[in-house]
Amino acid sequence: MTSRRKWALVPGFVALAGAVAFLSAYSGASSSQNFTPEQPINFPHPTHVQKLGMNCLYCHYAANKSPDPGLPAVGTCLGCHNQIEVGPNRPKIDSIPARQSAEIKKLLDNYADASGKPKKAIPWVRIHKLPEYVHFPHMRHVNAGVACQSCHGQVQRMQRVYQFSSLNMGWCVNCHVNGYKPADAVRNTEGYPTAADEALPPKKARYDCSACHY
Amino acid sequence: MATVARPRGATDLSPRPNVASANQQLPGVADYEQVDRDIGGSLTPTAGWFGALAVAVALFLWGAGTWTYQIYWGLGNAGYNPPVMWGVYIISFVFWVGIGHAGTLISAILYLFRAGFRTTIYRCAEAMTVFAVMTAGLFPIIHIGRPWKFFWLIPYPNWRLIWPNFKSPLVWDVFAISTYLTVSATFLYVGLVPDIAVLRDRATNPVRKRILAIMSLGWRNSEKEWRHFARMYLFLAAFSTPLVLSVHSVVSFDFAMAINPGWHTTIFPPYFVAGAIFSGIGMVFTIIIPIRKFFRLQHYVTINHLDAAAKLCLFTSMVVGCAYLVEFWVAWYSANQFEQKYFWNRVFGEWWWAAWIMLTCNMVFPLSLFSQRLRRNPAWLFILSIFINLGMWFERFVIIVPTLSHEFEPWQWAHYVPSWVDISILVGSFGWFFMWFLLFIKQLPVIAIAEVKEIVPPKLRSPHPHEDAIDVTGQHQAYEPDTPGEFA
Amino acid sequence: MTEPSGSAGVKRRDFLKVLGAAGAVTTTVGCFQEDVEKLIPYLVSPDDTVPGVSTYFATTCRECAAGCGLIAETRDGRAIKLEGNPAHPVNHGALCARGQASLQGLYNPDRYRHPMARKNGKLERITWDEGIRTLRERIAGLGAGAANAVFVSQHETGSFAAFLDQWLAGYGMPAHVAYDGEAPHAVMQANRQSYGSAWPALDFSAAKLIVAIGADFIELWGASVTQQLSFADARAKLADAPRFVYIGPRRSLTGLNADEWIACKPGSELAIVNALAGKGDVAAAATAGGVDQAVLQRLAGEIAATKPSLVLSGVTTANALDVALAVNALNVAAGNVGVTIKPAEALTAFDRVGSPNDLRDAVQRMASGAVPIAMFRGVNPVYVLPKSLRVAEALAKVPFKVSFSPFPDETTELCDLVLPDDHFLESWGDAESVRGSVSLQQPAMDRVFDTRATADVLIGVTKGDPATANRIPAADYRSWLIGRFPGGAQAFGAALARGMAPGSAAQSTGTPRTVAAAQPPAPAPLEGQQGDFYFVVYPSPVLGDGRATNKPWLQELPDPVTKIAWQSWIEIHPTTAARLGIENGDHITVTTAAGTVTAPAYVYIGVRQDVVAMATGRGHTGYGRYAQNVGVNPLDALPVAHDASGGLALATVKARIAKTADHSPIVSTEGSARQHARGIGRAVTAAELNGPEEEEVEHFAGDNKHDFLPGLRSPVANDAQGVLGNPKSKDKGMYDPEHWSGMAKRRWAMAIDLARCTGCSACVTACYAENNIPTVGAPWQGRSLRPFHSGDGNGWDTRPGANILKGREMQWIRIERYYEGGEDGSSDFDTRFVPMMCQHCGNAPCEPVCPVYATYHSPDGLNVQVYNRCVGTRYCSNGCPYKVRYFNWHGYGEPARRQYAFPEPLNWQLNPDVTVRGKGVMEKCSFCVQRIREAEHRAKLEGRPLAADEFTTACAQACPSRAITFGDAADENWSVARLAEDRRAYHVFEELNTFTAVVYLKKVNHPAGGAR
Repeated sequence: MTSRRKWALVPGFVALAGAVAFLSAYSGASSSQNFTPEQPINFPHPTHVQKLGMNCLYCHYAANKSPDPGLPAVGTCLGCHNQIEVGPNRPKIDSIPARQSAEIKKLLDNYADASGKPKKAIPWVRIHKLPEYVHFPHMRHVNAGVACQSCHGQVQRMQRVYQFSSLNMGWCVNCHVNGYKPADAVRNTEGYPTAADEALPPKKARYDCSACHY
Repeated sequence: MATVARPRGATDLSPRPNVASANQQLPGVADYEQVDRDIGGSLTPTAGWFGALAVAVALFLWGAGTWTYQIYWGLGNAGYNPPVMWGVYIISFVFWVGIGHAGTLISAILYLFRAGFRTTIYRCAEAMTVFAVMTAGLFPIIHIGRPWKFFWLIPYPNWRLIWPNFKSPLVWDVFAISTYLTVSATFLYVGLVPDIAVLRDRATNPVRKRILAIMSLGWRNSEKEWRHFARMYLFLAAFSTPLVLSVHSVVSFDFAMAINPGWHTTIFPPYFVAGAIFSGIGMVFTIIIPIRKFFRLQHYVTINHLDAAAKLCLFTSMVVGCAYLVEFWVAWYSANQFEQKYFWNRVFGEWWWAAWIMLTCNMVFPLSLFSQRLRRNPAWLFILSIFINLGMWFERFVIIVPTLSHEFEPWQWAHYVPSWVDISILVGSFGWFFMWFLLFIKQLPVIAIAEVKEIVPPKLRSPHPHEDAIDVTGQHQAYEPDTPGEFA
Repeated sequence: MTEPSGSAGVKRRDFLKVLGAAGAVTTTVGCFQEDVEKLIPYLVSPDDTVPGVSTYFATTCRECAAGCGLIAETRDGRAIKLEGNPAHPVNHGALCARGQASLQGLYNPDRYRHPMARKNGKLERITWDEGIRTLRERIAGLGAGAANAVFVSQHETGSFAAFLDQWLAGYGMPAHVAYDGEAPHAVMQANRQSYGSAWPALDFSAAKLIVAIGADFIELWGASVTQQLSFADARAKLADAPRFVYIGPRRSLTGLNADEWIACKPGSELAIVNALAGKGDVAAAATAGGVDQAVLQRLAGEIAATKPSLVLSGVTTANALDVALAVNALNVAAGNVGVTIKPAEALTAFDRVGSPNDLRDAVQRMASGAVPIAMFRGVNPVYVLPKSLRVAEALAKVPFKVSFSPFPDETTELCDLVLPDDHFLESWGDAESVRGSVSLQQPAMDRVFDTRATADVLIGVTKGDPATANRIPAADYRSWLIGRFPGGAQAFGAALARGMAPGSAAQSTGTPRTVAAAQPPAPAPLEGQQGDFYFVVYPSPVLGDGRATNKPWLQELPDPVTKIAWQSWIEIHPTTAARLGIENGDHITVTTAAGTVTAPAYVYIGVRQDVVAMATGRGHTGYGRYAQNVGVNPLDALPVAHDASGGLALATVKARIAKTADHSPIVSTEGSARQHARGIGRAVTAAELNGPEEEEVEHFAGDNKHDFLPGLRSPVANDAQGVLGNPKSKDKGMYDPEHWSGMAKRRWAMAIDLARCTGCSACVTACYAENNIPTVGAPWQGRSLRPFHSGDGNGWDTRPGANILKGREMQWIRIERYYEGGEDGSSDFDTRFVPMMCQHCGNAPCEPVCPVYATYHSPDGLNVQVYNRCVGTRYCSNGCPYKVRYFNWHGYGEPARRQYAFPEPLNWQLNPDVTVRGKGVMEKCSFCVQRIREAEHRAKLEGRPLAADEFTTACAQACPSRAITFGDAADENWSVARLAEDRRAYHVFEELNTFTAVVYLKKVNHPAGGAR
């Protein structure tokens, strides 16, 4: 290697380091995307959503009227599983392997008393977490027609829920600036957008800081 | 540099001074060997040097420790007393940035102007610049509430999709300071290359030799190299010249762009630049005079050089003094009650003493330099330089604290007393600065060997006894160390 | 804290988690929080609440006797904010600082968390059953001694007094002592005699002249909120407003609102009143009062000429009753009764309040050893009675002492059995503040600690013993109340929604109290006593008689007059101070016949030269971390003297004062008390208002159209709102003009009417409550800045208010108090109260200087501060001409730190809609942006546009004088847009072209003779 080449190495290294810093900064490396924690009870969303056709809002009952989507109370779970488990007054729900399910046993044994009344709260591990200085009003987004799946991913197919989106600020801002296409909502809910859907203009939102930060 | 360095014509053997003015001849220096010997010799560490370094490092560590303490407990441990939200840290920031400027003035501007007296002091001044800017750069970070987020001031593409506010003078500062640091560091290093080569050749320790070899970028002292070197040096000098004016102008915008009484004035940029150069020259004296003494470099940094620098000092002091007075006149003429109240408060208010320290140290004492005897008295120059450093620090104090404490809203008038944390970090910054400087002067030549050699008469096939000198007229003249006669 | 059972417990743990996170994040504001959090769901979801959406409960405030109506906002089962009940006849939606701060009583970290009994000298935890059993056995064991039992209860209107007396009677005990140390007993006594009701409604608007003789009706004299509303409405009539004259030795907050102050000697009021009534010799009165005869003459003339007028007495001297009677006679003679004084619409809140004399008698009986058992509920005699009465020693003579106090106050610490009471936000009750209307008190949330309502405890006592089991035919106090409620349970439930119901059921039992049985001893006459100063003690407008001192918000709230916080002070006149070589902060000792008290001096032009004045409220030796050892108690130097009505005489001694060597700086938020002709607080005289409107050149500089949509035309605001930007051009200005914004044409603005503002500072505390503002003055929050000096040597500055001494208070809204005139120490000076908060400039000097856009201009005209973007250069604060930006110098929001401002469970009160700011970031008034967004969300959900005046900010909501109006100045339907056009409107420093969004309306003065 000629000495000229040798001296060319120095700026080369500098450039390389710069590029690395640049890329890591731009990619938002600090996001907790794909965080897939072990939950106290491995709640199968597919069973409830796809098999039983339950609506997200059945359990996350406040998502369309409050900033906080709401979490099903233990009572809500037991409301059904109580009956499923305790035989006689069990309704004719098509063959759910309820009795066999270890997870449901966990629910009934650890979080309900003998009479099937709620006993203890389930300490779910939080997956989608925005910092406290970000105010995210769920109802504004839900009522604007944003499909849950657009941000949370195809939860109805996730055996174990993980953080689908990066939840980085740029991710939010992109949508606020460029707008949310109604057609995407249809696609995200596994539907097929019609030409009319496609024709609809994207819904934009304000993107000044005080819309979320205060 | 390689300008008119060679006696012209084979026939004319009478040597000539190789630069325009006579006052930078080095009669005490006979030949290149002596230069290498003297300057190279100054690099061997001494007990005194180790002592000084120890003190500097201790101060630096104390300051660093205090900063950690402050980061943990929050800025509440500094003496801030709202609305005095800026204090010792910003004062020191402006102070240190100012220090830097003389270095670039001497090494770059005076080079372009061919002011020969710069030759022997510029290396020292340039190093001072680099280290001063390094110190200054720390203070904004020390000052902010969340130093771990300082990089948000740097424009880099990020996933937040937001940029710094390019309207803010603080962002301009980031550019100004970083540019200044890069350019002056490069300038210093480029100037050093030939000297490093000399050291490399003289070095005995193989490791040291290897390092110096790398640092000298394989300098072979060839004609071609010298030509490139000269071009490069000239280019960098031209490149850093505008920085001398721009950097401190930008710093002055931190104040001039705000609407506060006493800040919001168009005189600030020139006023700050003059002040910066003034304070820098003060610091040059503070540094060069002891070095010259302890390293026995009187032959190189001669009284003439000091004299010339002192004249520059006197001039800038008068510019600054003029600015002080103009400020008061403007306040009176503006008929703006906020301005008038502030300037009255500046000299007769709570901080009258600070204002008077500023006025006497920066405006009155330097007038003594009208006397040639004092200009040529290193002891006095040293004492004066200390006063100048003090005065210039208090100039920034007077600009920042009285303004913020007595502003538009009387209900929020307040006092300000720096806390032990402020003071420790200020002291620590001096430790940091001198630590680097001390390390520098024992590793690299504090006087530019190559440039000195240019003004030392080359080996002549002449009858003159070699300890004597040739004066302008080419007449033979006996050497008398450190006397005015040297000037003739 | 004890772990409560059931869903409530789970809920509570949930909140702690959430809040724990809210706290934790403050350390990491601006970066991601990676630590894993738990989500704890309800066990059974309550059907009446939606998570993340507030639920509101109507209830009644018990901080003082007035009994204002409250709306308690609860989020996920936690009370987070109190606001006045707009429908309530007493406070009409307003709420004072103490009412706001009652939340910090609810969540006070020093509350007793369980019942306790004294075992071998110290209080130890017991169960409720034990506690109730102990009490029952003790009472059963009394026998004949029961007749000597003493039950002292904080006076409060409503059924509880009747219930208590009924319960006591059942055991053969005498009726309880209903104590209220703040009530003006002499006035009530006189009112009963003159008008037949303790507190007739006062109609200030009907009056043309108001003369207050020591009657601080904006402070603690009566129902302050009601009176302040009425007074403000009166003054808002501007030119026709009543002129207000204040007579008294000290110019109180009420006095500072007066147009004229007649500084008379204490004790001379009677003579003056008679002179004003034309019954006495004016010259003699003038000499007795040390006032100018001409002034008295003139005022007497005014009173005679001006009808109707309103003359009020509130003196605290020994002859207070006589003064009050004379004043009433004057009102009767002037024909004010029925016009400005309306006995028909009497305030019944003070009926059946006992007199301090009763308590004094009780204490003396204790001292004699005759009392077998003493019970205290809400009263702290050891503190509120003068030291010279030796209450503690008297208590020592009582074999068994029971306290129902929820706080570790001085009295409770001496008791043998502690059965902590519920907070009023946790328990049931009722009140009749106004005749003909019952307001209900209901729990807004589950108990914070293992406490129990006293009424239920008493019922428990009877139930436990078969003999007495059916004495009270109700399971608990709630059902007892329902049982007596007209219409029964159904009507009760219906009434709860509004918080009140017509009728008077609450008062059906219980006989109105008469004058104290034992006539109090006549105190020594004021004149002829030793000492050359009158020692005037007055109840603190913020801390009252000391019961509010354990709330950090109130400790931190600067006294409306002196602007001092976290400290006691002695007011002294500048001339006197100069004569004695006393300066602010020099400690001076006040020595009276009864004792001495030492405190820093505060030089105040509002006291007579021969008067030193002190406020009550501080100087607790117990009462929790926030009250203990902060300041001194002036009652230590006060003799036990009562007026003829039994009220404690506060201005009854002369004193000698001596300067000591000590000096401690005044913990004040005041910079300069003079505005140096900078036009911050402006005023006009009524005459000028009547005159023609002259062109005000300084009015909105550079704007001839006199068009007040502040900031809408300002460069930055227009830029932000895309008005300037040309869609074609590449230069989109600061924002993209085409970017969608529903707010694009809004301009949130505020109008502040200085003619209404009384400086009461309720807005300040309301702001603390709404915006999670940390209190920074506690003795453990200050870092010492000089290592070898001040502090405990571990780097802590343990002086109360150490941070405030460095000007580091965090008041997003502050009340500036400027004096005009009186530089020569004369009593003739005008006071300007200027509420100052972020002006949300349309052309803000703070915005361009921020290097990271942490502060910027929002499209709806807000000057936004983004905490998580702020790096803390503090450049914005330098730029701000109003100096309304506040910096987090320490980690006040970090639970791990000693400086944490919200120690558990105070953090339960934190507003979930507002970020808790971290160390090293700037913060400021946000115009309650969280309320703006919430209103926008609500409107959007209901698919309608935002309605005019639909919501308002916390300060405007609380303001008891309705001085603050918030809204959209760009939309003329909002009342703020109309107010901005008022001819009195001006901007502070408008010459700086900041185009502020806050419009001030000039104060209106009514000088004697019309013009000054």
